[in-house]
Amino acid sequence: MPRKEDRRLLRGEGIYFDDRGRGREGSYVHLVRSPYAHARIKSIDVSKAAALEGVYGTLTGGEVAALTDPYFQLQLPPSNEIKDYCMAVGVARYAGEPVAAVVARTRELARDAADLVEVEYEPLEANVDGRRALDPDAPVLHPDAGTNLVWEGSFDWGDVDGAFAAADRVLRIDELHFHRFSSTPIECCGAVVEYERATGQWHIYCNHQFPGMALVFMAPALRTSMDRLRFVSHDIGGGFGNKVIFHTYLLICCLLARKLDRPVHWTEWRTDNHMANTHGNERWFRDVEVAVQNDGTILAYRMKALDDCGAFPRYEPIGCVVWAQVTAGCYRIRNVHVDFTQVCTNKSPCGPNRGYSRLQHLWFVERMLDVVGHELGLDPIAIRKRNYVRPEEMPYETLNGCIYDSGDYPRALDIALELVDYDAWRARQTAEDGRLIGIGIGSTLDSGTNNFAQAQLVNAELPFSGNNEAATVKLDLMGEIVVTLGTAPQGQGHETTAAQVVADILGVTPDDVHVRPGHDSFFNNHVTFSGAYASQFAVTGLGAVKGAAERLASEISRLAAYLLQADPGEIVLEDGHARVAGDPERAVSLQWCAMKVNAAYADLPDELDDLTLNCRHVYRARFEPLDVSRAYGNLTLTYSTQIHVCVVAIDPRLGEVEILDYAVVDDCGVRVNPQIVEGQVHGATAHAIGAALHEAFIYDADGLLLTPNFDEYHAIRALDMPDLKVESIECPSPFTPLGAKGLGEGGGGGLHAVAAAIQDAVSRASDGIVTDSFNPPERVWRLLHAPGERPVRLVEPTPL
Amino acid sequence: MAEAGRRVQVRVEVNGRPHEADVEARRLLVFLLRDDLGLTGTHIGCDTGSCGACTVILDGRAVKSCMLLAAQADGCSLRTVESLAAEDGSLSPLQQAFHDEHALQCGYCTPGMLMSATYLLERNASPTDDDIKHSVQGNICRCTGYQNIFRAIRSAAEGMDA
Amino acid sequence: MLMPEIEYARPTTVDEALDLLATHDNARALAGGQTLINVLKLRLLGPERVVDITRIGELRGVRTLDDGSLEIGATTTYAELTEAVDVWAVRPIVAEVASIIADVQVRNRGTIDGNACLNLPTSHFPPVLVAVGAELTVAGAEGERIVPASEFFESPFTTAVRTGELLTRVRIPARRPGEADTFAAMAAGRESKSIVHVATSLRLDGAVAEASVVLGCVAPRPVRATAVEERLVGTQADEEAARDAVEGFGATLTPVSDVNASGDFKRHVAEVLVERAVLECAERARRGAGG
Repeated sequence: MPRKEDRRLLRGEGIYFDDRGRGREGSYVHLVRSPYAHARIKSIDVSKAAALEGVYGTLTGGEVAALTDPYFQLQLPPSNEIKDYCMAVGVARYAGEPVAAVVARTRELARDAADLVEVEYEPLEANVDGRRALDPDAPVLHPDAGTNLVWEGSFDWGDVDGAFAAADRVLRIDELHFHRFSSTPIECCGAVVEYERATGQWHIYCNHQFPGMALVFMAPALRTSMDRLRFVSHDIGGGFGNKVIFHTYLLICCLLARKLDRPVHWTEWRTDNHMANTHGNERWFRDVEVAVQNDGTILAYRMKALDDCGAFPRYEPIGCVVWAQVTAGCYRIRNVHVDFTQVCTNKSPCGPNRGYSRLQHLWFVERMLDVVGHELGLDPIAIRKRNYVRPEEMPYETLNGCIYDSGDYPRALDIALELVDYDAWRARQTAEDGRLIGIGIGSTLDSGTNNFAQAQLVNAELPFSGNNEAATVKLDLMGEIVVTLGTAPQGQGHETTAAQVVADILGVTPDDVHVRPGHDSFFNNHVTFSGAYASQFAVTGLGAVKGAAERLASEISRLAAYLLQADPGEIVLEDGHARVAGDPERAVSLQWCAMKVNAAYADLPDELDDLTLNCRHVYRARFEPLDVSRAYGNLTLTYSTQIHVCVVAIDPRLGEVEILDYAVVDDCGVRVNPQIVEGQVHGATAHAIGAALHEAFIYDADGLLLTPNFDEYHAIRALDMPDLKVESIECPSPFTPLGAKGLGEGGGGGLHAVAAAIQDAVSRASDGIVTDSFNPPERVWRLLHAPGERPVRLVEPTPL
Repeated sequence: MAEAGRRVQVRVEVNGRPHEADVEARRLLVFLLRDDLGLTGTHIGCDTGSCGACTVILDGRAVKSCMLLAAQADGCSLRTVESLAAEDGSLSPLQQAFHDEHALQCGYCTPGMLMSATYLLERNASPTDDDIKHSVQGNICRCTGYQNIFRAIRSAAEGMDA
Repeated sequence: MLMPEIEYARPTTVDEALDLLATHDNARALAGGQTLINVLKLRLLGPERVVDITRIGELRGVRTLDDGSLEIGATTTYAELTEAVDVWAVRPIVAEVASIIADVQVRNRGTIDGNACLNLPTSHFPPVLVAVGAELTVAGAEGERIVPASEFFESPFTTAVRTGELLTRVRIPARRPGEADTFAAMAAGRESKSIVHVATSLRLDGAVAEASVVLGCVAPRPVRATAVEERLVGTQADEEAARDAVEGFGATLTPVSDVNASGDFKRHVAEVLVERAVLECAERARRGAGG
């Protein structure tokens, strides 16, 4: 079913934040940002800037420290002593961190004035290598905490020592590395913020994708109540987790709007976005050991994970545990030990970039499995099928208590292999032009609707648990059906799928259902976890919509039963009417029902007093309490699957990689809108291929970002994309209202498949091992010609 | 404008209507369109002329409006995404194809994509797959993975042949 | 994204343009703007006065001269080069290279003037113009002078065009019998910014009679691989000759390491690209395809 959103978007009539506030005198914010990755701010002099004609005012870190409280921290002591304000206070900790703000009549004037702000910096030593962050001589970013350690913990499930003792062989991998990149939505962040002096009310017109969370962080910092911060978003130009942690910038705007008593308009430009908004987490996997049987069965693994979250933990340290939703990936591994450490460095803060934390971990699991297979001389298909969770085991409880609701990985893999005609490619070792051919498989899970109780696994004091979303469905005064959502969609088609669900329940067509676009917290249908993120709309968002529509249907049925002198159980809703089943003449229109309740209710009996025809429902995902001490329990409600197969050709003399063939098979349970599902699969695959071959946030030793905009950061383009062959299977989830499983993040399957394909091709010519998630030509060339010491060894196990 | 000045008079025809504006010499065309003329369908997505979200058709050529000064459009005729739909608001065949093929998700790159595709189809009624990919090489999309965009343009081209 | 204050002028004759360029100490010609506007947005070393030369009639147009060579007006866009029958007929490499620069929108505005005069290391035309032996006409207060491509390019943003001067046209000699051109690149993504690229011209008369191998991206200005050229002359430019010609060549270069590749890797890439370009060029010459 084609999307409702499209009409306005195709005509250029979408309402993105920057499209608001037209035709009136504006005031525009420009931020002065630190050019240094680490520096003491000795003084800031805004006087020359403020004196420029057309400049309305300024803001500095000193004012911020006086007017706001630092954001609350989720970590344990001493790391929770980190003071995170919306602007640098006394010290700048990453290049691009805002240091001062200037507001002027035009954008260019604000920019010109920013050049007149005089900041005296004392550069400090910066650390941009997460592996150094805990060295005794490493510069400490947050003296209040006294350490660069953000969080550390150990996870231990099953009988790891026993499994290693029982293994036929043990494989050691020195280090695998998952690189820093992000989804870079085309629309950057921004806001138009107004403040009403009379009521202390802020109106924040922006493109934040997780308003519930923004409220929770901003209100205490601003020393105000949640309701005083009204979040309004309409159309959002892509999110992918990159529009979640910029509430820091929104706070700057709130302060300015209040200080200057003017609406302020802030736009982030591309370079600002790349330098100082959201990066995906960089993670190392070190001292990896895998206990294997000769037939390829993986009994256990242990490793040390090191995560670099940038200068401030803003969505962290939740990522230190979110990966545990997919501890064993698609596999039946029952014994795992992970020592997890998260550190801060003088780089941009990290946020929940598409695939958040599971992406990194799934890449590790898939790479590990692939390396094991290769070392044991096993076929990559055989080793996967040997270790996959089997369809007959679903729902499957993993080693740490997560429950994979449904899936058929072997069937999905078979279909994907067929789509690329695997056997034909296997028969060809090299292309006619001498390039090396490689085939790679990437099995991945897209876990959705997470249980926020997992926050307790990083800090037992945190009160969060479950996951929820709100929605309202009403019959308006003349019977129009209006839906409001708690989510803040950025292109996932929420208006369309919500309309479909409501139409089915109320017996109308989707065109009869008006879904209010965007999000407005004045509608009061938000809860703490409201937003569009983490592959969950099909479960939480649609669950809320379904619940609200069902409440409304029940009210309509009760009213119609009275009006038609029938039993509520006899009422059916169809064609815009409430009818007595089997007696179509006895019917009332939805329009009449609305009129009755709103304008002609006097004759209704007492028992119908509660009817409002304006129904709000909060969908709550059901989770059992977690066993925090064992880090055991269900962390996520649904698990979509994506199995990717990639065929590459590598130029052995230049290391250039071309994708010759590509297939994806996805399973997201019941597909509410198959076209939208396929679109998400395409998009997630593009992001993953882009990250695997083209996209990286790379810093120099001084902490300056070398890929600060699209001139340097090569986002994947039309000519880079292979033609995708996509098919779906449907294994409905037994746990969700519609049998649908959320999808959207995608699990990064392309990263796994491309790495595996490069490995396969490289293995024809050298013993190099792909140990990095990012493989530009030079790295591939080195794998072929100068791989260095092998980071992989098979050893005999040590008995207990 | 043989004299150098910090302000310029710009006369430009946009979507068939004449406009006149007195702007700073430094004003970019995209800001003229969005801020001065209220045509917010043309979007800004980057700061290096890389993403193509700002694509318009100027004197018959697809160009990135963030890479032109408004002054450079003086005396020119230009079309933005707002010119594509019919007077009664109904979608053009190309827009309809984008809708039918689900070639947009967040919609932010879409105006630029539509203008690049329009430029292609006005010059080439039978584009090859390679022509289609080249036509939007200057437009970055982060949502769709491009697949459905190619399909939509192909569908629109085939509709033109019919 | 936010431009600094500038003065804008749009002359209609070359003389007006020269005057505008000479009467401000920080003035620059603005043609397509596909590089210059970015430079201005970044508030690096941008001009304070831009002189829009795109409405000057005598700077436009492509034609074949009586001697068979190609004359290209400075403000000819890449798109116009790819659409010009004359270019394909006389020296197709110019159209080929123009057709892979960036994307459609850039090609509709970007000009050979901008590409030559801004002379970024990754600019496509400087090595091509050197390889084909182009001549660039520079107009100034004292009149016009012709500068061979080999002397035109100095460093990024600095060429033989001095303050108060203007590039007006480029003359590309026709291919002689047995002559062909080719262009090879390694880019960061298909048809994207080059990491290393090379323009090659060979004239075969049985064996290689003349060779011109010019690299971009590896130095502040295009680099002629004269040692490689000398080794090629007299050979059949076959696989063995090409391999021998490039041996040790990379070590003579000093490319800068950047986010896409280390200097060492660029040296290696340069050798491979040159080797392949020579082979392809020889093949074109033999086919009479001209390249």
